[in-house]
Amino acid sequence: MISVQSVCKTYNEGRPSALTALDGIDLEIARNALTVFKGPSGSGKTTLLSIISCMARPTSGRVLIDGRMVSGLPERFLTLERRRTFGFVFQRFNLIRGLSVLENVLLPATPLGGERRADAKRALARLEMLGIAGKAGERVEFLSGGEAQRAAIARALINDPPVLIADEPTANLDTELAHRFLDIVSGLRAEGRTVIMTSHDPRIWAADQVDRVVSMRDGRLEENEA
Amino acid sequence: MTSWLRRQRALAEYTLAALARRRIKNTGLLLIYAMVIFVVASATLFATALRKEAEVVLAEAPEVIIQNLVMGRHDLIPGDVIAEIDGIRGVASIKGRLWGYFYDRLNGANYTLMVPLDPAMAPPAGQAIIGESLPRVREMPWETAPLFLSRTPGDLVRFDIAKRLSSDSALVSTDLILLNEANFRAFFELPEDVYTDIALSIRNPREIDTIVEKIGRLLPNARLVTRDEIARTYQKLFSWREGIMVLLAGASVLAFVIFAAEKASGLSAEETREIGILKAIGWDTGDVIAMKLWEGGLVSFGAFLLGTVLAYLHVFAFDAGLFASVLKGWSVIYPDFALTPGIDGLQLTALFFLTVLPYMAATIVPIWRAATADPDQVMR
Repeated sequence: MISVQSVCKTYNEGRPSALTALDGIDLEIARNALTVFKGPSGSGKTTLLSIISCMARPTSGRVLIDGRMVSGLPERFLTLERRRTFGFVFQRFNLIRGLSVLENVLLPATPLGGERRADAKRALARLEMLGIAGKAGERVEFLSGGEAQRAAIARALINDPPVLIADEPTANLDTELAHRFLDIVSGLRAEGRTVIMTSHDPRIWAADQVDRVVSMRDGRLEENEA
Repeated sequence: MTSWLRRQRALAEYTLAALARRRIKNTGLLLIYAMVIFVVASATLFATALRKEAEVVLAEAPEVIIQNLVMGRHDLIPGDVIAEIDGIRGVASIKGRLWGYFYDRLNGANYTLMVPLDPAMAPPAGQAIIGESLPRVREMPWETAPLFLSRTPGDLVRFDIAKRLSSDSALVSTDLILLNEANFRAFFELPEDVYTDIALSIRNPREIDTIVEKIGRLLPNARLVTRDEIARTYQKLFSWREGIMVLLAGASVLAFVIFAAEKASGLSAEETREIGILKAIGWDTGDVIAMKLWEGGLVSFGAFLLGTVLAYLHVFAFDAGLFASVLKGWSVIYPDFALTPGIDGLQLTALFFLTVLPYMAATIVPIWRAATADPDQVMR
């Protein structure tokens, strides 16, 4: 489904501060699988996730989604692809403070110009599914870590994307919440979604729900573990 | 189209929520902005109202005034020229006017003494009709208290008050004392058959220039002043005073634009992060710019409305207390009058473009810069 071909990414190219974050990555990511990127800090996990999810462009190489090359698209089309294909859960959840849970969940739907009432109904259904419908009107800064993460997942799913991208989703959670997260992710896979995440967390690598672990070091792939 | 409207509505809702989140900062910005608009709007509303007021008053004025000049100074004009000018075809009526100034040493004010053109309007002998400021500056203790005027030490002339003029005509009558002709001539010791000037009305306004030319040939030493020239002088006077205010306000606007640009270019870390999050979750650069334009539009339009409404109240409900001394002129006797409320659409539009657009223009470039940042910044 997602094909990464000879992808390199250099930040500050041509300057003394140039840094190669990815160096010739080749990778195929299967549909409806849970893939985890692991590796030490600076290994290029997050950069690879950004490039796969159309948030950044590679310096060289190609990224294809369902056979369509997306890495060379202009920004406008790259945004459309990102909107259509991916939902994001960030390490610190990146919910917008001062807004309610429901308002945060609705944010990705805002620029689409959909029927507001239908969007809100869909958002509430998602929150219900994740067990935090009761918090819909509450401001996000008053949520616990687990609740904030579930709000972030609801936001990632509001536009019904086929791929969920999660960057270190369990980094700030205790063991129980980490397991709870994996249960939610299993449920999403059961709905037919593809999940790609980065993680430092051995609990994640070892989990039964994970289909594939990809190890990275110094911008290169080390090994693929089934 | 429906989708576009829904998108705009959703963006506006988000913007309102965003503004509410930074309530103190945005309220401060709105108030400063509204204050700048208030100053400019007050100056323009007040000057326009004064101009209109002057136009209304001048509509009743004679079409041509003839003044005699001696050594380049205004002097009394002999009454026998009235018969000569009356013979010019096109002159509808001609009347000699009597008016002059009286300096009141008691309070340093100058009064205008005048004989009404219509004899039916003149007060009876020994009485005067006075403008609404006189009782105030003279501290006249009761409604019918007599007016005493002293021309030289030891001299005292008494006038009983026949009537006080209402404040409706205060722009031109605030310092006025109307007397009958006999009292006026006696007070200023004027001989019979001389006048201060002569007022003409003309049948056909298109013939004014021709008639003025004919009178000029007849009276080569006279100064001929047309109503249009007086109107133009008023316009220039008010425009000049308004100009001072607008210049001051213009400096404030400039300072505000610099402040707005500074504010927008220095987007806080929180705002920059927020833009990154929005872009990461699927907003494109256009969505972010549209949202920020909504924000700028709501702030600037809100400030425009607030500033303009406050200026309207200031000028028409509170007599422009803050700027009246500059715009009305400097005088011991200020006319205390209420202006007729009115709004000039063109002026309001100009004000809108001069205040709202600079803010929008000042903020758009820094916002565009922030909105085009890579969304993957938020991943780091």
